[in-house]
This record gives sequence, structure tokens and C-alpha cells, in this order.
Amino acid sequence: MANTLRGRAFKYGDNVDTDVIIPARYCTAYTPQELGPHCLEDLDREFVKRVKEGDIIVAGKNFGCGSSRENAPLAIRGAGVSCVIAKSFARIFYRNSINIGLPILESEEAADSIDSGDELRVDLDTGAIENLTKGRSFSSAPFPEAIQEIIRLGGMVNFVKERLNNR
Amino acid sequence: MKIPHKKELIELQKRYRTDKRIGEALGGVPAYLVAYWRRKKKIGRYNYPKYSEEQIKELWERLGDDAKAGRELGIRSHAFRRWRKRYKLKEKPVQLKLEQLKLELDINFNLLRKSMRYTIAQNLLASRAGKKKVEVGEIVEVEPDLAMSHDNAGLVIKQFRQIGVEKVWNNKKIVIPLDHRAPAESEKTAIAHKSIREFVREQEIRNFYDIREGVCHQVVVEKAHLLPGQLAVGTDSHTTSYGCIGAVSTGIGATEMAVVWATGRIWLLVPETIKITIDGKLPKGVYAKDVILNLAKRLTVEGANYKAIEFYGSTVKEMSISERFTLSNLSMEMGAKFAVVPFDETAQTYLVGRTNKNYEPVFAGEEAEYVQEVELRVERMVPQVACPDNVDNVKNVAEVTRVRIDQVVLGSCTNGRLDDLEIAAKILKGRKVHLDVRMLVIPASRSIYLQAMEKGFLRDFIEAGCVVLNPGCGPCLGAHQGILAPGERCLATTNRNFKGRMGSPEAEVYLGSPATAAASAIRGRITDPREFL
Repeated sequence: MANTLRGRAFKYGDNVDTDVIIPARYCTAYTPQELGPHCLEDLDREFVKRVKEGDIIVAGKNFGCGSSRENAPLAIRGAGVSCVIAKSFARIFYRNSINIGLPILESEEAADSIDSGDELRVDLDTGAIENLTKGRSFSSAPFPEAIQEIIRLGGMVNFVKERLNNR
Repeated sequence: MKIPHKKELIELQKRYRTDKRIGEALGGVPAYLVAYWRRKKKIGRYNYPKYSEEQIKELWERLGDDAKAGRELGIRSHAFRRWRKRYKLKEKPVQLKLEQLKLELDINFNLLRKSMRYTIAQNLLASRAGKKKVEVGEIVEVEPDLAMSHDNAGLVIKQFRQIGVEKVWNNKKIVIPLDHRAPAESEKTAIAHKSIREFVREQEIRNFYDIREGVCHQVVVEKAHLLPGQLAVGTDSHTTSYGCIGAVSTGIGATEMAVVWATGRIWLLVPETIKITIDGKLPKGVYAKDVILNLAKRLTVEGANYKAIEFYGSTVKEMSISERFTLSNLSMEMGAKFAVVPFDETAQTYLVGRTNKNYEPVFAGEEAEYVQEVELRVERMVPQVACPDNVDNVKNVAEVTRVRIDQVVLGSCTNGRLDDLEIAAKILKGRKVHLDVRMLVIPASRSIYLQAMEKGFLRDFIEAGCVVLNPGCGPCLGAHQGILAPGERCLATTNRNFKGRMGSPEAEVYLGSPATAAASAIRGRITDPREFL
């Protein structure tokens, strides 16, 4: 059951951009460990203090809009967040998250009904999201198999390595 | 330690040039020892030419002028002449006549409209994937014509090393200009820049531009690294800008770029396309920036997410490449994947003297299917300002004229070109920047910087009290050169006004045209530029 995640929700609004996820002043760093402590600093100073390993970010439309900086999903992973659920994701952020192995799920209903602090369970294979606090469950489209494979292997680098080795 | 063979030493010299660098590459061998080995093996000092014959020939054939060609290399005209003589290039090149080209093109236009039912994105991705046609929603694996990275090449290199491939797939297709933190603002950046310079030398990437050259997107277009009908990916969201010359281009992340460097392949989803038609003559004081901000307001910041945009209409037809650049550039702020102004005579004229390569523009068919069609008339438009914290929070300038400002930024890939500087210089000439305002001027490239100097714009700026910075991204992304303190406000010609974008999260950024920027700098509050025109 390695593909089931469990954590508390942190809820934010629409258009959370990559500049608030990780401001450019920290983007000289490349590792999740260095970036994590500054994640969402300009939006919610309390976030990094309260977040625990495995917690989940829930947000509105167009999450991750703006810059192509890969430091953004790296910072989220570095903060210990296990996955992001949003109504929709900006294009580059979507690709970047998959590439570095951060699971993301699109579900309008889930994003609407989940509140900060709710206990969630997410099954990455089926895309099912369960709100354990409120006792409701939602579905999101699971990733195509190739993309699941990338996430399972921990990102694009391992995926390509594997592909080059098997050639 | 083992002394390298003569052959090895020559190879090392080719790559690292000086004894000191060779020594470093060998793990800290002092330079005098390398020099001693060299003398023993009868190898001279490094004397490979700085500029190759190929490079000098290409510049000469393209530009046919010592001064212009010299400028591209950053050397004086007589120095270029010496290089040219060294390679025995004496004859003046035969410049292609514009009219001749036009004739050829008219025929091509009709030939290229084969796939009637498809958009530019579909036609281009189909041709790259070696297919007759592709449908929206299909995933294709393609080889890009250009892979651009800037300072974040540092992260790309790190990921590339992890993949474990030794050589990049094609060192001619990779372009790296350093612009985001140029010159380096911290030790960390300096280390990243150094690692990029070393990698570039190791992989023999010719199209590397150190901090002197300017904003990456401007450099790519200006130096024609990408041509109409070609496909580019870049590790910067504003890579969509190359649509201004009829190319198709989009931003990707660093890991994805590392994969492109290693394998030359990338998967892309064939996007839906929005057709935007802009008609009418632009009124006084209204520019491409105002038009695209107005569009952002209509479509919202996610209105074009995952989608391509094609621009049509009489207004676009009349626009210069620089103005089209602004359209394609800011389309990204609506989430666009591609943003293309179809190739035409304006793009063709722009490329004369910049490239001597053949290119094949791609067009949309007459029956192409669009997911959305937007029509906009501009005759009665007024100057627009995007207010904090989103690019679609756009208001007419009259609604925000009470906002006092502390800083004005003129520049960036969005609005740092010669025409932008000219508009602002004309307003500022003979006037003074308000005492409470810091105005920063950042030409988008070295060539623009030089031209602005020759035309006297820089003098106008400096006399008015502006600070002229080196070509690059400046404070746009909040890395350096003009960071805002809490409570401060800035009117910028850049592309983003997100919270904390230009420094403190308690500062505010407003976006407007170069004319609005200049007028606001004079008054100390956001000002309608028509008061000065």
C-alpha cells in the first residue's frame, strides 16, 4: 500500500503562483532540504512551522502559475508535503511536479469541500481522495500509466535512466 | 601523478586554453608544471584562434559590414577586418534583395497551406513528429530545434549529470545566455555561473552568452537562433515569446531540459488553440502592452492554460516584431503554451541580415478549428495598468492615478527594446524624474544598449535622473538590482506583479507600458501618458 498517502490538509485559494511558493531570493538553492524551510513563506508564514511530513496542500484554480522554476515543486516536497490537490494546475508546474516526483491531483469537488485541518487519505493508483474528518470521498482522474511510472520511480531522471539502461 | 601524453595535453589545451585551467582540470596541478610538460613535449602556448573561420565567415556573409559584424562579437571594426583578412574573406557578400525574397515567398504561402483543417500548433507538431496530421489531445514525441536555458542551466546540469549521459545530444541546438542574476549577485550564483561556463567548455556549446549579452529571449530572437516554423523549448516560462517571428515555443522545467539535453526528445500534448483577432488603429498613448493587458483581463490568468494562441487582425499586421514580442511574451501570463503571430513580410524583413539559413514557415489552414475565438477592437482603448497581485487585475489608467510610486522599472523581455526606450526617452527628454522616485532603465540586450547610446536615449535618461543598468533581467524577478522594501510601490514595464515578486511581499507592483512608466516617473504617481504626448 505504498501508493496511499495520509495527511492533514492545508487549504489555499486560486492562482497560488510560483513566486509565493518559493520567492526568487531563495532560488539560488536547488535541493528540497534548502528550499523546504521557505516554502509558501510570502503567502503563509505559519505554514512551514505547522506542516508535518505527509501533509497535503489543497488549493483552487491555476495552482503553480507563473515562472517555470522547478524550485517550486522541490520546495513543496522539501517542506514534507506528500501531494497537492487543486481544481487545476498551471501547465509548467504540472509537468515539473511529475518530473521531480511530486504527486498532484485535479479535483474540483474535493478542493471545494476540504477545509484546512481535515484528515485526508489519497490513493494514487485510483485517484480516490477520502476526507476522513468529514467522511466524504471524491474521485480524480488517475494518471496515465507512463506518468504513474515516472512518479513511482521518483521522477523523470530515474525514469530516463531506466529507459536508457533497458535499451 | 602520471604526466599526460602529448595528444592528451593538446586535447586539454583545446578545451581549457590556459596552463592554469588545464592544471585545475587535472586536479590542482600548478600552472608552471603544465608549462614545463608542454615545453618538454614541444607544444606551444595556446594559440587556437579566438574566433573560428566558420564564425567569421557566417557573420561576414550575413552582415557584410566590419562595424556591424564586430559589434556582434564585441570587437571594433578594424579588429573584425583583421580577422576577416586572416581567413581571406575579401569580397563583399552578395546581399539578398528583399524584393526577390518576397516573390519566392508568395508562392510558398499557398504551398504551405496544405493542411486546411489544422492550426499552427497541429501543423508544426505533425511535421516534427513525422506524421501527416495530429489531433488535439494527442501526445507526440518530438525533437526541438532549439533548447534554451539561462542561469538555471546550473540546475539542468546537475540533473543532466544524474542521468549519466556523457555528451549532450546536439551542442549546436543549445543556447545559454546568462541574464537572471547578471552579474552574479551572490556567491551561490557565482558558483552556478562558474559551473555553467565549465560545462559549456566541456560540451563545446558554442551558443553560450556570458553576462554581457542581455535577456535570453531577446538574444535568441535578435541573433536568429530560432527561425519561423521551428520548435523551441526553454527553461523559462516566457519562452512563448519566439512566437513573434512565427516560431512555436514553450517553457519547461530544468529536469525536463536535462532529458532534452540527454536524449533530444520531449513529449508534448497537442493543444487546443484560441484565435485572437485584433483590429483597428492604436490610438495615441496606447501600445501593444496595453492591448495584451486588456486581453489578460478578458481571458483571465488561466484563460489560455494548456492552450495555444494565434494572433490575427489588422492591428497585429501593423505591429513591429518588438510589439509582437510583447504580445507573445505576456500570453504566458494567461497560461498559454504557445503564442504565435503567423509569419509575414514584417518577420521576413526582420530576419534579413540576421540569418542566411533557409526556413519554412508554418501556417494554420483556412478551416482550422479553434476552441475559442476572441475579437478585439482597439480604436477606443485607453492605457491599461495591471494592479497587484495578478496580471489580469487590469484597470484603465484613470482609475489608478492616485497611486503614489517609489520606483519605476523600464526594461525586461516584455518591454526593454529600442522602440520601448525611444517612447520613454521622448517623454523624459528635457524633464526630470520625480524626486521621490527611483527610475531604473534596463536595455534588453547589448545591441539595444549600443543603439540607445548612439541615438542619445541614454543621455536623455541620465539627464532626467534615471539609473541605467546593464542588459539583463534587472529586478523583474526580485533577484537583485532594485528590490522593494515593505510598503513600497513600483510601476514596471515587466511581466509579473505577484506578491513578493520584486522583493518584499508587502510591496506592490503595477504593470504598464513604457509610456505610462515614463509619465509616472515624472509625476511620482501613476499617470496617463497621454498628458505628455
